[in-house]
Amino acid sequence: MSAERAALPSPLKSYALSTLTVGVILIAWESAARAKLVPDLFLPSVSAVLVALRGGIADGSLPLDLGVSLYRAFAGLLLAAVVGVAAGIAMARSALTRWFLDPFISLAFPAPKIAFLPIFILWFGIDHMSKILLVAFSSVFPIVIATYSAAIAVNHLLIWSSLSLGSSRPTIMWRVILPACYPRIFAAFRVALPVALITAFTAEMVAGGGGMGATLMYAQRFFETPTVFAYIVTMLAVGLIFDKAMLVLRDRFPAWRESS
Amino acid sequence: MAQSIVKVIINAIIRLLPIAIVLGIWQSVASLHWVDTAFLPAPVGIGRALGDLLSGHEIRDNLGVTLFRALAGLALAAVSGVWFGVGMARSWIFNAIASPLVGATYSLPKTAIVPLLILWFGIGSTMGILAVYLTCLLPIIVQTYHGVRATPAVVIWSAQSMGASARQILWQIFMPHALPDIFTGLRIALGFAFVVAISAEMIASTAGIGRLIFMYGENGSYDYMFAAVASIVIAAFLADRALLALSARCLRWHPSHAGTNLGATA
Repeated sequence: MSAERAALPSPLKSYALSTLTVGVILIAWESAARAKLVPDLFLPSVSAVLVALRGGIADGSLPLDLGVSLYRAFAGLLLAAVVGVAAGIAMARSALTRWFLDPFISLAFPAPKIAFLPIFILWFGIDHMSKILLVAFSSVFPIVIATYSAAIAVNHLLIWSSLSLGSSRPTIMWRVILPACYPRIFAAFRVALPVALITAFTAEMVAGGGGMGATLMYAQRFFETPTVFAYIVTMLAVGLIFDKAMLVLRDRFPAWRESS
Repeated sequence: MAQSIVKVIINAIIRLLPIAIVLGIWQSVASLHWVDTAFLPAPVGIGRALGDLLSGHEIRDNLGVTLFRALAGLALAAVSGVWFGVGMARSWIFNAIASPLVGATYSLPKTAIVPLLILWFGIGSTMGILAVYLTCLLPIIVQTYHGVRATPAVVIWSAQSMGASARQILWQIFMPHALPDIFTGLRIALGFAFVVAISAEMIASTAGIGRLIFMYGENGSYDYMFAAVASIVIAAFLADRALLALSARCLRWHPSHAGTNLGATA
């Protein structure tokens, strides 16, 4: 029975095996490409991808595209955070707001927001604005739902205590309710960040207008496969780095961690 | 009995009233020509377009194509993802081999692989289903892995001491224990499935609701475009509710599942 062995893997051994796997895949990929087992057009060698990556960084096109995409993703995310937290708290504090917003949130939460892209283009043009607003629309729902469920669960003793100590309503809002919601809001941010990135990239792939996604599609149309790979690798790295950064942030600010 | 039905209907009306209010304001704004109806078609016009589209083949066929791609990719991902996750949870060797791949691709914005898949497989259902499959695979693997790993050792030991075979432990201990997590993974994957299927169609396709929405947008038939968007929103909502109902049915026995209603905020 492998239960005991599965429970006690040697960390060093499994780390070595992981590194070995990545190495084997990269070597197999490189040699398959070098041996022309598949045409360059379909699978360029690892070294060709690295050359394309370095070229893109050297001539400034890759950092520029990345900057445009990240600007759209984070502007949208910021907007979603402001609107989402405000709406979540309003829903927790007022039954009327909850009654009014609930059916829209229930309906829109599972909807594939990218389908609204042509509508956003129609209303806000094909430049930054439509993409930023689509990112905000995609990432606002997890934030609203998390803020609402955190704010509704704030311990009433805390609110009553600060009321009896003479705090005003704004003070209670900013000093009691909002801090109590931080961990859930932060957890929702970890969900919303990849959604924001994927929406920004996809909107650019579909509608153009610069950024990572637009250049990726452009490279694919002209069969510049090493560039396609270089951009995918960059997107992958960006996703990983931001997720790690969120974890580091959470560890730096213990108030943002969910206590369970 | 009759009274409870009346109550349910009244509750439903109260819940849906905000949507009716917004549609009413929208309709009056459009009827009074405060906004250009070219940019914001009136709900009545959209409804007429939707009725028109539903009675013809346009939406039904294209929505069918999109649903087929999304659900086929999801089903394939569910079957292989669960086994992959169980394998990772049960064998440290497989885990060591697979975890760098899962970890690296988990945070990749999945639509980025669509251009690559177009290059390899051309445009069409193969590409669409593969893109959905690869996207849905990861949340299912990760959730299954966590569910199986979290099985209390005491339960496994008890089963072993009572002489359960490895197969029995798999089906009667690990799978039931991981089932709530597997359903969580499925629900995340269902959302991804629609997003990726539609994105792939918007990027390059000859059929599907994503292409249809874009085509109407480019032709300037905006009431039809809004109707097509409405149809996919409703389809995604119903698919999500169907999955919730299925998971509630399959997890009736599970203590944490009594009366939960994920997604509904009130």
